[in-house]
Amino acid sequence: MNTRDLVLIALFAAIVVVLGLIPPITLGFIPVPITAQSMGVMLAGCILGAKRGALAFLLFLLLVAIGLPVLSGGRGGLAVFAGPSGGFILGWVVATFVTGLIAQRTVREGQAETRQFIGFFLASVIGGIVVLYAIGMPWVSAVTGTPLLTVATGSLAFIPGDLLKAAIATLAARAVYAGYPLLPARA
Amino acid sequence: MLTSLHIEGNSLLHRLPVRVKLIALVASSIVLFLSASLPLQAIAFVIAAGLYLSVGLPPKEALKRVGFVFLTIFFLAAVNLFLLPIIEVATLTLRLMALVLLAAAITATTTISAFMDEITILLTPLERLGWLSAADVSLALGLVLRFVPDIFARYEAIREAHRARGLPVRPLTIIGPLIILTLKDADTIAAAIDARGFRRH
Repeated sequence: MNTRDLVLIALFAAIVVVLGLIPPITLGFIPVPITAQSMGVMLAGCILGAKRGALAFLLFLLLVAIGLPVLSGGRGGLAVFAGPSGGFILGWVVATFVTGLIAQRTVREGQAETRQFIGFFLASVIGGIVVLYAIGMPWVSAVTGTPLLTVATGSLAFIPGDLLKAAIATLAARAVYAGYPLLPARA
Repeated sequence: MLTSLHIEGNSLLHRLPVRVKLIALVASSIVLFLSASLPLQAIAFVIAAGLYLSVGLPPKEALKRVGFVFLTIFFLAAVNLFLLPIIEVATLTLRLMALVLLAAAITATTTISAFMDEITILLTPLERLGWLSAADVSLALGLVLRFVPDIFARYEAIREAHRARGLPVRPLTIIGPLIILTLKDADTIAAAIDARGFRRH
């Protein structure tokens, strides 16, 4: 790994920390407040690509594990991994990787803007929602004993917010791609 | 801005080496998850709660640290009451609370440098394989801690710029500039690291 990649990974992990410090926004039609940090997965994958994005999140989880309160709301430490949503937090790394993989394969320079938007949105939805829930929900079910179907039904409440996050991440990722492209070319 | 969750003290957990604590945490999660016995989970809960209360956290802070996780545990337990036998719900809830308390107690009694030393040791096999270098991990970690205040200051500057123009502060219009401005520094920082020869392999 060259030094530039190492720095990009560290800077992105730091950006995710800062996203956790931004106050969450509440929208009338969505039951759960939206934290900017939860967009980090989609942003990291779409902006840095699979490998660097996943490493940035691995570094972020390391910060959580060694006891820095870097999760939104000032949470941190080993306890968050032991709790019911530990799967979602560990799933961030895989979700970022998948988001990056799809973004790398669908988005290229010189494409029409709309195609880039579609590519980033698909990557964010599949990586940041489908993959993340595929890891997080069975985990909740396994540690709390709540049947998977109940967990899945309950998780539906988060889907509108997640789709909105994917839309915001898409627009932001495309803005970054236009201004300072970092996404590796089709791997 | 980034103050560690470690707390000074001299309790039993403070004195134990970090490796022993981590092995104890992993071992107790395996044992508790394999066992369906309510008394065992209850004993584990009492021990974990005792350890957590003994680390010297002020009660308010102690509650705040585990509060959010406990809230999700209680919520799921309430859902479970409709679906599972009450004994099973009690077992599952006590087990999770015990592990969360134990984990929180370990976090409160271990310094960042102790964790980092242990991580460096855990990374040695990967380093031998040539997959990564432990020095790079420490360097990356140091860079994060170094740049979080800068990036936060940048976020505030962008927010001020919004206000000055009478624009609403929305994540969408903040995240883009924040990321571009931050990542554009990567080349300069990388050049500075290389010029100082920090990564000689």
